[in-house]
Amino acid sequence: MTIQSLDISPVGRVEGDLDVRVDIEHGRVVNAWTHAELFRGFEVILRGKDPQAGLIVTPRICGICGGSHLTCASWALDTAWETEVPRNAILARNLGQIVETIQSIPRYFYGLFAIDLTNRKYRNSRFYEEAVKRFAAFTGKSYELGITISAKPVEIYALLGGQWPHSSYMVPGGVMCAPTLTDITRAWAILEYFRTNWLEPVWLGCSLERYEQIQTYDDFRDWLDEDRNHRDSDLGFYWRMGLDIGLDRYGAGVGKYVTWGYLAHEDKYQKPTIEGRNAAMIMKSGVYDSFADTHVLMDQSFTRENTTHSWYDEGTADIHPSDRTTKPTAINTKDFDNAYSWSSAVLHKDFGRLETGPLARQLVAGGKHGESWQHYDGFILDVFKEMGGASIHVRQLARVHELVKLYRQAEHCLREFKLNDPWYIKPTEKDGRGWGATEAARGSLSHWVEVEGGKIKNYQVIAPGTWNIGPRDGEGIRGPIEEALIGTPIYDSSDPVEVGHVARSFDSCLVCTVHAHDAKTGEELARFRTA
Amino acid sequence: MTNVLWLQGGACSGNTMSFLNAEEPTVCDLIADFGINLLWHPSLGLELGNNLQTLLRDCISGTIPLDILVFEGSVVNAPNGTGEWNRFADRAMKDWLADLAKVAKFIVAVGDCATWGGIPAMSPNPSESEGLQFLKRQEGGFLGKDFVSQAGLPVINIPGCPAHPDWITQILVAIATGRIADIAFDELNRPQTFFNTYTQTGCTRNVHFAYKASTAEFGQRKGCLFYDLGCRGPMTHSSCNRILWNRVSSKTRAGMPCLGCTEPEFPFFDLKPGTVFKTQTVMGVPKELPPGVNKKDYALLTMVAKDAAPPWAEEDFFTV
Repeated sequence: MTIQSLDISPVGRVEGDLDVRVDIEHGRVVNAWTHAELFRGFEVILRGKDPQAGLIVTPRICGICGGSHLTCASWALDTAWETEVPRNAILARNLGQIVETIQSIPRYFYGLFAIDLTNRKYRNSRFYEEAVKRFAAFTGKSYELGITISAKPVEIYALLGGQWPHSSYMVPGGVMCAPTLTDITRAWAILEYFRTNWLEPVWLGCSLERYEQIQTYDDFRDWLDEDRNHRDSDLGFYWRMGLDIGLDRYGAGVGKYVTWGYLAHEDKYQKPTIEGRNAAMIMKSGVYDSFADTHVLMDQSFTRENTTHSWYDEGTADIHPSDRTTKPTAINTKDFDNAYSWSSAVLHKDFGRLETGPLARQLVAGGKHGESWQHYDGFILDVFKEMGGASIHVRQLARVHELVKLYRQAEHCLREFKLNDPWYIKPTEKDGRGWGATEAARGSLSHWVEVEGGKIKNYQVIAPGTWNIGPRDGEGIRGPIEEALIGTPIYDSSDPVEVGHVARSFDSCLVCTVHAHDAKTGEELARFRTA
Repeated sequence: MTNVLWLQGGACSGNTMSFLNAEEPTVCDLIADFGINLLWHPSLGLELGNNLQTLLRDCISGTIPLDILVFEGSVVNAPNGTGEWNRFADRAMKDWLADLAKVAKFIVAVGDCATWGGIPAMSPNPSESEGLQFLKRQEGGFLGKDFVSQAGLPVINIPGCPAHPDWITQILVAIATGRIADIAFDELNRPQTFFNTYTQTGCTRNVHFAYKASTAEFGQRKGCLFYDLGCRGPMTHSSCNRILWNRVSSKTRAGMPCLGCTEPEFPFFDLKPGTVFKTQTVMGVPKELPPGVNKKDYALLTMVAKDAAPPWAEEDFFTV
């Protein structure tokens, strides 16, 4: 029984630098460690700064989901300052986030994920030749169209915020913009362009309306069989090829899922509070435990972080993020028995380690908990159960399934804007604690802020990557990606594409992770500074 | 064929995301039509693990000629100058960078982090970050003041947080098509073609600037953002209002004050309390005036402009 250890540095195409170590036995992964290898210290930087500094700094944590960071930063100050946010502004924030995510889905699918379907490992698949035609990097027919058209949705972001990425147009009390009818009309046209040039003809092979009839896995299979255009669409083709090459057979993970909920309701969250958030989200928050098949609401107070296996000198207790006093270790030697990552382990105080991301959102969307008016969708939960749980393949389907729903939400925002009503209500700055949360394309994101004496006393971020990429926790339990890697078959250890499949199925975003666990005390940091 | 290697240090991937928004040419056009061969890129490259490490070593040994090294993100030196807080491909990124810089024909720094150190290098700069050839406005940076790449040029700086996609693609194409000698650089090694004019050039709120009509608070379609909301458009070198963002707008057009993100001082005043989205003034006069304008003339201009302002200057200008 030989165990081969494989250190993969970097895994690449995961938005940031992810390194993975896997132990392989009989051609399968039997143990895994994920480690984040970059520390920038954003939370350190934010200490003592202007309360609104987070609006400028946190989008720069991650240029991929900067709009999501901006959303969190704004809602965090909204709750701390007890603002009133006009409905136009809530819609404008939602629209910004939605188009960022709509951009991210094809960019991720073609640019980061589907390229690997052209790996020579799959040359014997009957789908291979067609996969190369569609998905080959830069030259594939779908790759080129998908990457190019992914720039379109964020033109709408630019109409609201002047540019994407890295605008700061969302502010406590509302938004900076006041779009005119011209902007709104252009935004409609951009959405339509995206739908008629890619989403319907290339991705779905059918109208949005036809796709929306799919409620169960059976419906989906019927849809596939119904029409050649469905089968040969990129979605239909991907689904069939994925089954053929076994993407439904590994990459399961921890089996418990979290979402903060997504998109504040324009009439129900105008006086935002931390406590009132769950009852005001269009897409509800929650934890889904697949072992017990139960849904419950998620609350920020349940969050814990543990740094036993991270490069921080902070002890081994599980603590609430806002109670962290982060002290980075000066010498970050890789030690897989002890500390091996800049990421912390994030936990739910009752449920332990949770996976976040589109799969989590869609599994929660299938729950009957929450308010009667909140979004409900049982499709992915049905697929999950029919297929016997999570896999790379189910995770992909959940991600792309959101496209049509988000498209509809974008239409809703454009319809609901009342152009002559206010976009901003000037708040009064004050001290206090705030919390803002949202769902980035790749999962749950939240900011905790404490303002004291007119400046930031403490700023804490937990990003999707922190949930998913985190190392082992205080009890030695693996993080979600580490767990998902267990059982992965490795065909060629010199090109472990399967590890890439699993890691990338989370669309894990390391650039967030690396910043998210930074020191709290300037004094401690002074020791490491030479500049 | 022009071989391009794109690496990220202390980065957020924002410049990559911006680059992917390019439309004329698109990223795919660069490869299909302009002979650019992207050897590897963190978000787009095929190789992982050892295969990438081999590719990097082949560049360093000269087996693969490295025509353009694009760097995004700051150079992380922490802890204590070792660079171990940013390891890449099993090694401190700054060590890869030092080796690759010796063989690259051209080096292009994309975005504020690679040019000046950017947000990570803000006080207290916990990651000991710096830019490739500058730390903020101070010359030197990681490669040193006198560094020139194999082609004899210093690092070409394309600042911005992020850099505009057209700024990036046009420089890459200029190099690939042998036109880089046509481009003049300013004292910060920025291509003048993009950074000679001010952000304000082309701003739709210029008429309000001229009549000293201010946007008093956010969410307004009227007024200039310079007087109250801290806009740096008149003082910042960029072409944001000439070469629009995402083809449709700019921050100031949308109502967001320019943060001056193409200048080495960004973020200005280190975001100290009271400095975010607020114009710093002394006795009601902005502390910083457009370059070349003195306080006395400014006061005089203000008086005349306010006196001459037509009533519409205070109305909802870009009405529904």
